This record gives sequence, structure tokens and C-alpha cells, in this order.
Amino acid sequence: MGSPTEGYPLGRTGKMTEAYEYSTLLEKWRNPKGWNAVAVILFIALFIASVAVLVYVTGGTAFVWINMMYIPIIVAAASYRVLGGFAAALAGGLALGPFMPLHVFEGVSQDFANWSIRSGCFMLVGTVTGYLFTWIDRQYDILKRAYDQLALSHQELQDTQLELIQAEKLESIGRLAAGVAHEVKNPLAVVQLGLDYLSMAVSENEEVAQAIEEMDTAVKKADRVVKGLVDYSRFERLDLKAQALNPIIEEALNLVRHEIIKERIVVESRLSPAISPVAVDRGKIQQVFINLFINGIHAMEGGGKLAVGTSNYVLTEESLRGFSVPPSRFAPGDDVVGVDITDTGTGVPADKIGKLFDPFFTTKPVGKGTGLGLSVSRKILELHDGWIGIKNREEKGIQVTILLKPMKGV
Amino acid sequence: MKKRILVVDDEAGLTHMVKRGLEATGKFVVMEENEGGRAVAVAREFKPDLVILDVMMPEVDGATVAAELAETKDLKHVPVIFLTAIITSQETEPTGSYIGSHTFLAKPVQLKNLISCIDKHIGA
Repeated sequence: MGSPTEGYPLGRTGKMTEAYEYSTLLEKWRNPKGWNAVAVILFIALFIASVAVLVYVTGGTAFVWINMMYIPIIVAAASYRVLGGFAAALAGGLALGPFMPLHVFEGVSQDFANWSIRSGCFMLVGTVTGYLFTWIDRQYDILKRAYDQLALSHQELQDTQLELIQAEKLESIGRLAAGVAHEVKNPLAVVQLGLDYLSMAVSENEEVAQAIEEMDTAVKKADRVVKGLVDYSRFERLDLKAQALNPIIEEALNLVRHEIIKERIVVESRLSPAISPVAVDRGKIQQVFINLFINGIHAMEGGGKLAVGTSNYVLTEESLRGFSVPPSRFAPGDDVVGVDITDTGTGVPADKIGKLFDPFFTTKPVGKGTGLGLSVSRKILELHDGWIGIKNREEKGIQVTILLKPMKGV
Repeated sequence: MKKRILVVDDEAGLTHMVKRGLEATGKFVVMEENEGGRAVAVAREFKPDLVILDVMMPEVDGATVAAELAETKDLKHVPVIFLTAIITSQETEPTGSYIGSHTFLAKPVQLKNLISCIDKHIGA
């Protein structure tokens, strides 16, 4: 069932929408075509003929019936504007022509003069009505343009509102996360120091040492989550410097080399030597690449291909498709430095792809992901005035695209 | 001779663990204090070779304690290591634990890292 405001982009309230409704009604009567045109023209022709016959038949009372001729003239003017009004008036005048001399109205013998005045009146009414409708058309066009513009602004406002709500939600999660992180670190520190102490005290007992090691691993995992929360909650400070992106990517690949070898991943690097420098915080952008490479590797357990490419290009509708880039950030025609990372992994179920950047959302098995990697990455990119989007590839796996603005004048 | 370490943190569990861990090495004598406001008085009496200080403590925080220590005769040259939950190891590791002219260790710290940091300052 449709909503009560369906078909009314601005809802059903307000004079603007009311006026818009009338204009759409008017639009329906504008230049009828096809069978509508046949029906309208037939109606006008029959009406004119009928009036003419009535004038002929009724003779003395013809004066009254002649006024009926204005109806088809006005209908014609409403349908086909000045041309329609003029044509119907001409037809009406000509239809009456043969009959007029047959009657002498109330003793007036100037038949021709009478007919001329009548025909003149028809023409005047037809033309003026046609002009009036043309004027209404122009007003309608102005109204429609304004309405379309308003509907567009309304849509943009709604989108911005949604973005704001989302940003506010993330902001409060960030604040909460920072508080939780601080509170968790203290007991974690006690456990860590306690484990270190125990491992010194009972080093000769292998089973106990094994248990302590497992607990130590668990503490480190908890610490990683806490670090993720802290990272997520404070990215206000960026150390922006002109940087070449390729060495940052190569360094990030090097840092995950161990995982790449372990999972038998083939890396295909297509880094363009000609890409423009970008103003980025080196450490934070590198963190994004590490997150993405680790995600790719986790999606291809047992082997696969991780491809990474950089290039300068101009955005098109096609290149933006599927990445839900906010138009306020990037639009077709913009120059960008783009990074594409693809894997041949499992991909992401279609119903989950929209949630990938939500904090604490993860598609990884329990204990493998914190659900913060991608949300932190998007936040980092947003702070750089850039964007990160993910879509499933038709072949297999996913494609991650990062967009950054090239530094001007470099 | 064993080095004297004063550890100041409002979390009693943490100061106990630091004491246990450091004293188990046989190289240190550790005094615990859980109130920032009493830290300087305890230090005057204990005469530590190094102070481990939490940053965020109720009432008197670590920065205030450090400033008071720096103004106290006989204690002004005692090195201070800040042990805090407000930073992460990602931020301290690249700078060798220095932020400005101060030494910071991020919680949770490993005992071996704490010991090596103490050794760096007072060469126990």
C-alpha cells in the first residue's frame, strides 16, 4: 500500500503542492493527442454543426442559440490554445454563414453586418481565450521548474539530514567507545602485569606456562579491540603532508607480507608511477591500507589474488556506480587519485554490503574481526575529504575503491 | 643495591601487580601509593630512584604530582614514567615512549617493557 503522500514529492501540505496539482490537471488538457485529439475535435465539430443547425431551424430565436457557439470555441482554445480558438471561431463563423441570410433578426435586414460582428466576436473570444491559456501554460512552466527545483532541494535536504543523523550516531558511539576503552585498559593492565608475573614465577611448569600464554593472547586480543575503539573515537588530529601514495601502499603490503605468504596469496600490483601527490596523514592512510589488505587476506583463506592499483582519472557516472558516494563529496567530472583493491575471496552477501561501514559490524568469524576496521577506515577517508566504497565484483570477491583529491598546483 | 621505585595509581590492583612483578626480579624495592594527593609526601619519605605515575587520577592527577615533584628539593631529578590508559602503544612505540620530554607507557604494559624502560632511566 502506498503512503498517503505518494506521488507528491513535497507531501500534501502547502500551497505549492496544491498549485502543482492544478497545473498537472491543466497539463492533461494541453494539446490532446491520439484518440483524445479525435474525441475533442469530433466534439467541437459536432457542437459547431449542431449550433448551426439550431440557428437554421429555430430562426427567430437564433440569437440565443448563436451564443452556444462560444462553448466549442472555448473548448478548442483550452485544448489547442490560440490556434485552436482561432480555428474553432473561424469554423463557427463559416458554419453560420449559409444560414444567416435566410433570417432577418427582429427586423434587422443587415444580415451580412450581423454575421460579420458575430464572427468577429467568435474570433476575439477564441484568440483571447487561447492567449489566456498560453499565459497559464507559461505560469505552469515556471511553477513546474520551481517545484522540480524545490523537490530536488528537499531530497538533498533529506539526504543531508540522514547523513547528519548517521554522523551523530557514529559520534556518540565514538564518545562511548573512548570511555569504555579507558575503563577497560586499567583492569587489562592489571591482568597483563599479573600474567607476566605468573609466567616468571611458574616458568618450570609447562602446562601452567601454556595456560598463561593462552591468557596472554586473550589479553592482547582485548587490547586490540580497545585500540580499535580509541582509534575510532579520536581522529580529530591529522598530520597532513604532501605524500606519494604508492610508497605508502608498498609499505603497507610489506607489513602484511607474513599473512600474504601464510595464506598463499598472489599479489598483483598495478601502481601508476604518474599519480598526483595527495595531502594525507601518512600513518592513518597506511592504517586504512593495512585494514583493507588484512580483510582481503581473511576473505581468501587458502589462496587467491589480491590486486592493488592506483591511477589518476576523471570520475564518471559509471565509475561512481555502486559506491554510494555523497554528491557533496565527489561528482562526475571531478579529478581524483583512485586506489582500487580487489580480491578473489568470498564476497559479501548483498543484504550485508550496506552495513559494512557500521561500527561493530563484521562478516568475519567470531574472534577474528572487531567490526571496527572498515568504520575506522571510512572515518579516516572522510577526514581526508576522500571516500571509500565497496562493491561485489561480478567475477568473484569484492572491489574496494578509495578516492582522494589530488593536490592542486603540484 | 636495589633501586627504589614509587608507583602511584588510583587502581590498587595495578600498583600491587607492578610491585609483585618488579620485586620478583630481585632488582627493585617498590612502594605503592593510590592517592595522587599523598604521592609527594610519600616520595619525600621513601626517596625513590624513579616514580611511575598514572595520568588520570581523581582529585590530584599525575601531571600535578609530576610538577610538584619537580619543585621539590631532592626529588626534582627523580625520573618519572607516566603509565596511562589515555594513549595507545601505537602512539608511544614510534617515539621510543617519549612524548615531548616525558616518558609515557600505554596501559596495558608488559612487565618486560616496563622493566626495560626503568633500566633505560636508572640503569638498574
